[in-house]
Amino acid sequence: MSKKNSFSPEIEAFSKYHNVRPGRVKPVKTPGGETVLMIKPDLGKEIMRHKDVYLLLLIPFVFYIVFKYVPIFNAQIAFKNFRARDGVLGSAWVGFQNFQDFFNSFYFWELLRNTLFYSFGKIIISLPVSIILSIAIYECTHYALRKTVQTLAYLPHFLSWVIMYGVLFALLSPSSGILNDVIKLFGGTPVDFLSSIKAFPWVVLLSDAWKEMGWSAIIFIAALMNIDVSLFEAAMVEGANSWQRVRYITLPSIKPVIVTVLLLKIGTILDAGFNQMYMLYSPQVYSVADIIDTWVYRQGLLNFQFGLATAVGLFKGVIGMALVLVSNRLVSKFSEGSSLF
Amino acid sequence: MKKVLSVLLVALMACSFVFANGGSETATAVNADGTVTINLWYGAAITEAGPIPDDWIGYQILRDEHGIDLHLSVLPSNESDQDVRIQAAAAGNSLPDIFMVSRPVLTRLVDQGLVAPVDDYYALMPNRTAQQYDADSIAMTTIDGHSYGFASPGSVAKNEGLLIRKDWLDNLGLEVPTNLDELMEVMKAFTYDDPDGNGQNDTWGYGAYIESDATLKGYPGARLFPILGAFGVDGLWCFEEENLGLNVYKPAFYDAMVYIRQMCEEGVMDPNWLTYKKDDFRAAWKQGRFGIMKEQNAAYAAEANYAPFDANFPDGEWIVIDPPTGPEGYASVGAYDQNYRIYAISQDAVDAGKAEKICEMLEWMSSDEGYYLCGWGVEGVNYVLDDNGVPVTGDLGENAFSGTEGQVYTQLRNMVFYNSDTELASRYPTYTTATSGKTMSALTTLREMQSKYWTPAIGSGQMPTPNADVQRYYEQTLAEFLSGQRALTPEAWQSFIDQFNAIGGAAWNQQGIDYAKANGLVR
Repeated sequence: MSKKNSFSPEIEAFSKYHNVRPGRVKPVKTPGGETVLMIKPDLGKEIMRHKDVYLLLLIPFVFYIVFKYVPIFNAQIAFKNFRARDGVLGSAWVGFQNFQDFFNSFYFWELLRNTLFYSFGKIIISLPVSIILSIAIYECTHYALRKTVQTLAYLPHFLSWVIMYGVLFALLSPSSGILNDVIKLFGGTPVDFLSSIKAFPWVVLLSDAWKEMGWSAIIFIAALMNIDVSLFEAAMVEGANSWQRVRYITLPSIKPVIVTVLLLKIGTILDAGFNQMYMLYSPQVYSVADIIDTWVYRQGLLNFQFGLATAVGLFKGVIGMALVLVSNRLVSKFSEGSSLF
Repeated sequence: MKKVLSVLLVALMACSFVFANGGSETATAVNADGTVTINLWYGAAITEAGPIPDDWIGYQILRDEHGIDLHLSVLPSNESDQDVRIQAAAAGNSLPDIFMVSRPVLTRLVDQGLVAPVDDYYALMPNRTAQQYDADSIAMTTIDGHSYGFASPGSVAKNEGLLIRKDWLDNLGLEVPTNLDELMEVMKAFTYDDPDGNGQNDTWGYGAYIESDATLKGYPGARLFPILGAFGVDGLWCFEEENLGLNVYKPAFYDAMVYIRQMCEEGVMDPNWLTYKKDDFRAAWKQGRFGIMKEQNAAYAAEANYAPFDANFPDGEWIVIDPPTGPEGYASVGAYDQNYRIYAISQDAVDAGKAEKICEMLEWMSSDEGYYLCGWGVEGVNYVLDDNGVPVTGDLGENAFSGTEGQVYTQLRNMVFYNSDTELASRYPTYTTATSGKTMSALTTLREMQSKYWTPAIGSGQMPTPNADVQRYYEQTLAEFLSGQRALTPEAWQSFIDQFNAIGGAAWNQQGIDYAKANGLVR
């Protein structure tokens, strides 16, 4: 049975007058409570009018379709005993067995603890460091120094963790590392930073902060650039010192960006950094280094349990989405205008 | 707008459906030009060199004389990366027609129905089968009564040895250690008595890195095999009838751990041993950091590998020694298995009717023409034959099979080599070192290493592997004992064994015992 659209006489008359289909006419309420009729924009014409911009949008759009949305269909593997030869649809359903295997694994709670520790730790350390760096760069008046610091800060981001491991090993080796040379110089005992369960978490957190602080600072520097300079001029006229300008102008001005970045990071809270951990960890520090992703790599990928790996991925996604929604609600409740959506 | 969104959603669903099920299409076997396309994923012989160039004459021969359009793709050099690549392709049901694969991964692929049994194909390759495949190699690929791949001889067995710095011994007036007590004394002297005479406290007795797996080596791995061998517990599995099972259950394993822990406490182990990667370890001995190690013959004595050490220490000298004897009289360089490189054929390739052509290609590789072409390149261009019929580089310069230009043409040599004397003589020529003028030969070193006692652990590569939790518990706890994070006492050891059993270690052990008995691996 087909549903036939019926329109009010006002809409029929309005569409006839403007020579558009009645379906494109939309009644809209004004702030004063009055209802007016508006013509909905024609998407095709809009796209043609701004085709350059939409062309730019095409690349990320295709990326998201191919790599983010299409694989959603395959998420059903999480509930199946996946056999590649049977395909996604042909594999047998196993209900929540893969999730149970994960939750009942011997190290589940330790994996969860380590993952959350590194995720929150990286936020707690990296975020402030990035903000401080961005403010320092923004406040620096010496052009050459600012550019040099910026470049040096960005550089580690482009190094893979394989290279970073080599750098860290040269720094931290108990026999020949620069840091241990300094410790020995002051009469201390060398520390095997990469094998000690006490030192290892700090190596992970600080090396991540070092590697990513420059890159993360970019978005804050962009936000700082948008601050109205007259605010700073006025503050200086009023006698505000540098710290007061940062505290009362800079930080409040970039607060929405900080909140956005924080919310985005919370969305991936169960991604504690596979590449970094895979390169740095070893059996003697498994107790403080094994995270969900490294476990999935060993149990799911190396043992060909793709259903299990997918189940964990789905679990992480659901937890991440829930955290983002809750955090966003809290932000919008306590700081209006700062929430993500 | 709703219509647009609806269309998009339907398109997305359609895309998903296609991607989810369209990973592998059974290709038509015969191309329009009459050739059959064969996709081969191979392990490169020289991992640091590039892939085989497009102008390789082998492509032309296969196309013109055998109707094969060969497409080559090189696998990552690291074995675990190879496994990941193969398994990722398998997950998408897009395995190539023929590919190199490790035994543990092969087992999983068989379970998934992704590789084809090849029992009937040996007869199609009479020359190659006689040269490369025997009962042991077929057993390596046999699962549930069927052979699921062609296992060619891999790296030479027993190709490692215990090496000691003879110049350090001479400097300190010490003899070659013969038992564990003497070994400890020598290691202490190497650590604390400035064996290189540079006035600095920068040397250690023993150098190692963690090189373990879940089949042959086990934690703490092959670099410590001579120590474990002195206690009769080298190798993950023991195949002796009276002690069949995981070596970790033997009381002597605890004693071996105590000895290694003592090495750490005495400070005679290079403190980086737990964090060294293979390349770090190899760089370290070339820098004169330690005086005793277990190393592979070519990694030690091949010209390019020995050159940095020779340049750094012209007066330095390593010698291969007998493994030290332990308290019960045991001594062994380490456990060894027969090494194979397995090439499996995907079920899709068989379904597409390519199996016979694949066999034809492999048989050609083992013909005189294919053998020399894949192994050394073109005669007169990449090699010349010496008076003994051994391919040598002559004065072919960089185009020679070992030169930078020529070596890329030999990337498939591991598919044809079977460790014949000719191959070894060609691969490990005698040479004179650039700085010190020593006469060296990795082949002589190999023969010396092979003459020492090794513990047979034939079949280790086929043994069942544990799940990730059991393996982690095993490795982590042993690492904690060795690094001192966990006190190494008999009570703590028993507690470890109890917990290991509880989480699946006992089941793994029983599974291994059953497999070894069922497959005739018990000695």
